[in-house]
Amino acid sequence: MTQDNNDKTKGSRRNFLKGLSIAAAAGSASLVTGCLPDVSEASSETLKLKWQEFFKKNYRLMTAAEKEETVARLERLAKLQNDREVRIDTTPPREKVLFGYAFNVTRCEGFMECVTACIKENNLDRKANTQYIRVFEMEPGQLDPSTGDGKYYHEVPVENKFYMATQCFHCENAPCTKACPTKATWREPDGIVVVDYDWCIGCRYCQAACPYYGRRFNWGKPDIPEDEINPRQHYLGNRVRPKGKMEKCTFCIQRSREGRLPACVEACPTGARVFGNLLDPDSEIRFVLKNKKVFRMREELGTDPKFWYFID
Amino acid sequence: MKSDNFLHHFFFKVLLLFPALSVCTGIICEPRISLASSQNSVMRVIEQAQSPYKDSSVESAFPIFEETVLSRERYQGGTFRVLARKGKLDRSPCSACHTDTEVKAQDSARLTHGDIVLNHGQSGALSCLDCHSREQKNLLEDREGNAIDLDHSYQLCGQCHFRQKSDWLGGAHGKRVSNWNGERVIFNCTTCHDPHSPRFEKRFPATYSPSQP
Ligand code: SF4
Ligand code: SF4
Repeated sequence: MTQDNNDKTKGSRRNFLKGLSIAAAAGSASLVTGCLPDVSEASSETLKLKWQEFFKKNYRLMTAAEKEETVARLERLAKLQNDREVRIDTTPPREKVLFGYAFNVTRCEGFMECVTACIKENNLDRKANTQYIRVFEMEPGQLDPSTGDGKYYHEVPVENKFYMATQCFHCENAPCTKACPTKATWREPDGIVVVDYDWCIGCRYCQAACPYYGRRFNWGKPDIPEDEINPRQHYLGNRVRPKGKMEKCTFCIQRSREGRLPACVEACPTGARVFGNLLDPDSEIRFVLKNKKVFRMREELGTDPKFWYFID
Repeated sequence: MKSDNFLHHFFFKVLLLFPALSVCTGIICEPRISLASSQNSVMRVIEQAQSPYKDSSVESAFPIFEETVLSRERYQGGTFRVLARKGKLDRSPCSACHTDTEVKAQDSARLTHGDIVLNHGQSGALSCLDCHSREQKNLLEDREGNAIDLDHSYQLCGQCHFRQKSDWLGGAHGKRVSNWNGERVIFNCTTCHDPHSPRFEKRFPATYSPSQP
């Protein structure tokens, strides 16, 4: 009897949801399916959580309590769906901190340790081989990576070449954030440009607006070997993204907000990468800006990147 | 507010992807650069920030388990630590072998440092005693004859590589360990460079990038 009742309620919810998703499908591309709860979901707890997730707010409008709730739901969903223990935090920006980055063009030898560290740290899709960092092998005298070779695979460094890496530059005046129709991407007070993956609709306007090829779009669910998943995650950072979302470098927000260096800086064997607080006159990044010959890429665009290149 | 949010959310998540909207891509993305408004604004912000950042939440910084020593030099008026070296050497302390006892033939290969190839500077320009002390085997020695501890090799390296040393002191050469925040702990010269062959060896990159922008 109770069984019957259950089935009935389940059935009616199913029908309701089915109707809804058909209506949605009629007016939308298939990418949206990633956002809508899947009606064939077995566990009703999963379904409930997904449903609540679907109707949550933009991260910036959430109260502290709401942030707690969504993070708890996401952690629980990871457990229910993938049997994954993850910790998603919502560490806020620190006061009097503005993150900046400097890259020593003379030191980089093209080993790409930064790229592999980034892939692991940020739970990047192994199947599509998503990489936030790109390293270019360049001819002397050239300073625009588009003239370089971004696909090299041979012993490095090669004489008479130099190496230059790009990633999201966390522009102060970021054109990507202005292009977003849903306000799913913005600049945080500590200068990190982030994406709310659950608010992003995957329209890719921001990608088109970025003059630096800083953004990556995931066409599929990230494929990561289960034992390689980094369980220390941030809501705005390396949590495993749903399908059909825009993603990019976040200066390893899950690390940098805790006082740690981004994974790429820590992995670099030559010390070509410098990271720190631009508002601290005693920081290494400020030393570089003050004492070295620095330049930013396509500065004339007025994007005001917080990523400087320098030469020894 | 709440219903606004709901509408906003619902509208964009479910309905926005009407094909017609994609036509707008060009329109929305076109005026992407507002040049005049804020050029160099971050530079102005930086210029104005002149008080050192002191954060009480330093304890959240990642603990460093490696052995460190207090540097004998100053950094922007303050002290800092460097990664220790001695504990990383296979044959340390040197005085364990360098005693007055005679060397037996069967030990000679191991004790003569025959495995060390000196590939530092122009070939033939340097010899062991340019850096190592003849009398005190546990120590290094600079050109003025000052004894230098192996943990403080930067004092020795800096006598030739003075530009690298000032960059290292300031933070443009070398790197910090783990944290951008908290007490400054940095790599020693010999953490990255093999002093007998200081250039990095050629090797294949750790990965490759299959696609291009
Ligand atoms: S580099 Fe591109 S993605 Fe990053 S903040 Fe600038 S415009 Fe946005
Ligand atoms: S892809 Fe996502 S973040 Fe980018 S513009 Fe569209 S909704 Fe905004």
